[in-house]
Amino acid sequence: MPKKFLLPLFLAVALVFPLLPFANDYVLHVVTLVMVYMVLAMGLNVLPGFCGLLDLGFVGFYGVGAYTAGLLTVHYGVSLWIMVPAAVLNGALWGVVLGAPTLRLSGDYFAIVTFGFAELVVLFLTNEIWLTRGPLGLPGIDPVSVDLSFLNPAWIYEFEGERPYFYLGLAMLALVYVTMRRLEDSRLGRAWLAIREDQLAAASCGVNIYAYKIIAFGISAGVGALAGCFFARWTLFLSPDMFKFWESFLILCMVVLGGLGNIHGAMVGAAILIALGEVLRVVLPQLGLPNEARFLVYGLIMIFIMRFKPKGFFPKIAAAGEANPLIKRLRAQLEQHGGTSR
Amino acid sequence: MLEQQLVNGLTLGVIYALIAVGYTMVYGVIELINFAHGEVYMIGAFLCVTFITALGLPFYVSMLLAMGCAAGIGVTIDRVAYKPLRASPRLAVLITAIGMSIFLQNLAMIIWGSRPVPFPQDAVPAYLKETAFTFSGVHLTWLQLFIFAVTFSMMLLLYVIINHTRMGTAMRALAQNRTCSQLMGVNVNRVIAFTFALGSSMGAVAGVLVAVYYNTLSPTMGYVAGVKAFAAAVLGGIGSVPGAMLGGIVLGIAEALGAGYVSSLYRDGVAYAVLIAVIIFRPSGLLGKALVEKA
Amino acid sequence: MTAPAPLLKVDQVYKRFGGLMALTDVSFDIMPGRIQGLIGPNGAGKTTIFNCITGVYKPTQGEILLTPPPASGTTAESIRINGKKPDKVVALGIARTFQNIRLFSSLTVLDNVRIGRHCRTSSNLVGAMLRLGSQRREEATIIDASMKWLKFVGLERHALAPASSLSYGDQRRLEIARALATEPALLLLDEPAAGMNPRETADLDQLIHAILDEGVTVLLIEHDMKLVMKICEQLIVLDHGERIAYGPPAAIKDDPKVVEAYLGRGAAHA
Repeated sequence: MPKKFLLPLFLAVALVFPLLPFANDYVLHVVTLVMVYMVLAMGLNVLPGFCGLLDLGFVGFYGVGAYTAGLLTVHYGVSLWIMVPAAVLNGALWGVVLGAPTLRLSGDYFAIVTFGFAELVVLFLTNEIWLTRGPLGLPGIDPVSVDLSFLNPAWIYEFEGERPYFYLGLAMLALVYVTMRRLEDSRLGRAWLAIREDQLAAASCGVNIYAYKIIAFGISAGVGALAGCFFARWTLFLSPDMFKFWESFLILCMVVLGGLGNIHGAMVGAAILIALGEVLRVVLPQLGLPNEARFLVYGLIMIFIMRFKPKGFFPKIAAAGEANPLIKRLRAQLEQHGGTSR
Repeated sequence: MLEQQLVNGLTLGVIYALIAVGYTMVYGVIELINFAHGEVYMIGAFLCVTFITALGLPFYVSMLLAMGCAAGIGVTIDRVAYKPLRASPRLAVLITAIGMSIFLQNLAMIIWGSRPVPFPQDAVPAYLKETAFTFSGVHLTWLQLFIFAVTFSMMLLLYVIINHTRMGTAMRALAQNRTCSQLMGVNVNRVIAFTFALGSSMGAVAGVLVAVYYNTLSPTMGYVAGVKAFAAAVLGGIGSVPGAMLGGIVLGIAEALGAGYVSSLYRDGVAYAVLIAVIIFRPSGLLGKALVEKA
Repeated sequence: MTAPAPLLKVDQVYKRFGGLMALTDVSFDIMPGRIQGLIGPNGAGKTTIFNCITGVYKPTQGEILLTPPPASGTTAESIRINGKKPDKVVALGIARTFQNIRLFSSLTVLDNVRIGRHCRTSSNLVGAMLRLGSQRREEATIIDASMKWLKFVGLERHALAPASSLSYGDQRRLEIARALATEPALLLLDEPAAGMNPRETADLDQLIHAILDEGVTVLLIEHDMKLVMKICEQLIVLDHGERIAYGPPAAIKDDPKVVEAYLGRGAAHA
């Protein structure tokens, strides 16, 4: 099948999916969860995938976004239109604040600082009971309501059940996907890849390494916060346990499985690991093992991929910008002149 | 009770130092943050308990055996996971280290269960729990003295190995320049294996000491202790062995004072805050040199 | 007729690494529109000079001044570039290649050159996200310019192949194309002929002259003396971090200090 039909077909299936008979609440819930993790994996991918920086505290930004959204709704009943940008900006801001002093240093330090940051976020959420109710968790978050009453007083739509969240999640996924694809195939994205490949050579091409790393960290953190924002308004309950290191690890594992720097791979990785998690949740108790033992599998996946398939299970078939019309035209010209393109 | 806090902090600090040395030595020779080191520490403690309960061995023998096994585990980790990636980008090795850490932690959970278990008290020599000295209201138990004695003798041993043996010289050479050491006839892989063995056995000792001191051990104990020891290594200056010792002690005391005077809720937060602050304001640590991005 | 101002003036530069003096009082001028060579035995400090000029190192002492070419739009008579970061230096018109080739090896040949266009283009985050018209137009010009330079070095057929798949000589040419894509006034080539066979070296000779014809001044480090003597108009000879000779190749060849540096004490008197 020609490649160009793939995306519309995928979209069509996604749109019809919730209306199918077997798509009960459980199935829709899992698929929506997959979409949340796809967004998270794409957000994380910016750092290790595009820039070659290991971020071990990605879940911290997810948590910042989730709690920003949750607290704003619980305490102030802020509308969706303000809440989403506020949560995303809050996440991105923390990324920049944390990145500015550390991104000048070696990448190892960056990994550690992000780890420490995420741990501090969890400690803060656990201990600042006056704000977050601590380990008891934050209940009573309102479901999403799309308020268009400024256009027509009757246009207020309250979300109920899994179906509308599925569509909202799909919209978020599409937005992040398109953004990531565009960033990857741009001057900005190429600068990131240059940094990943060789910092000195990148600087010798005029790339301001420090600035581009900070931009990357800000974007990655912002995407994490966006997913957190959706998560808060979807599950309607937050607790600090949801944002522990395990989550960062799981998301990193998704990116590694799909191939570092590969947007499609990150999404496939998310789908596989969430599905695997659901399966293991049933299988492990039958083997008499605790549910956490699934991380044994994830740990092994990571070791094996790095050892035997460092480009992931879905190595990038096409270079960045394969879909770019300018590159397609160039390829056609080259083939016409009998050049080797590969 | 400032003095008591200081003594308790110091006890904890020397143990952190013992773990931190493992991080710093491995970083020195292969520039890798060996995230799995915290897990070796945890496994060391569990092995010691297993030797006591399953084989009925005495405490000291079990501890020595655990050290030996941990050394083997450390070397195996390097052989299986890190060695094949020596020529790969650093990101790949770092990710492998994380994967290894999570794998080992969950393996321990499957083998020994996920709940914390107490240290078998019968096996611990009874005098260790008695107070050795009471000095103007400060209690010092024999166990604490034992911890100090063990730690300082291990540090002394380490100092001698690093500075006065051929292997130590090779380790230092490797830290300077791997290719060059290789050309000079240093068997690089043997030196790396030795470093892992040394660091891992010291980690195992620390695990046993902590398990006895707190009378509890769990598969997740390596996670927090690992981060703290790493913070100690960074505080002292990563790659510097005396720095790791100093960093451990400073961190242990800071933590005890922070828990005592600021808020016990943020006890673990002290290590993270120190870690971030040191990296931001003094990345070279107390005794090390800065790792500015090598362009 | 007054002599033209030097494009680059290296003025009494010192560089110390800990206790080691890598460069001692090195001065020379690079005149526009010429090919000049920087030679000397291994460890003489040649690459250290390159690193000081391009901002990888900051000289311990001394000045490096660039007279910006009229095309750069700056009107200042000369700009101090010592202490500036590499990305700023390349924007001012000094590009380089590396002794041990440094390509973005898992990217395509075209992408390597496209990244070279970075300092001459400006689209940013917002432009990329919204695919603004200005961004799309810029992308098209980036590809055109990149293809132009790939044609210039003869690699346009391989534009969409991974850079790592190129032969060694082609990788060197790609690195030159990437450097040229930054539109430099001065191009620093670090041992461009290293590892090349005689035919590739001959091609390189032609390529360097073609670069000169594009109006780019060239300074090269090279050990291939035949090539150096043939194409350079002016030579700077370094030994142990000091400039021991400076002049046209014919004069350099018989300079006893140079012979001694290369062949050892006594050889000059033999």
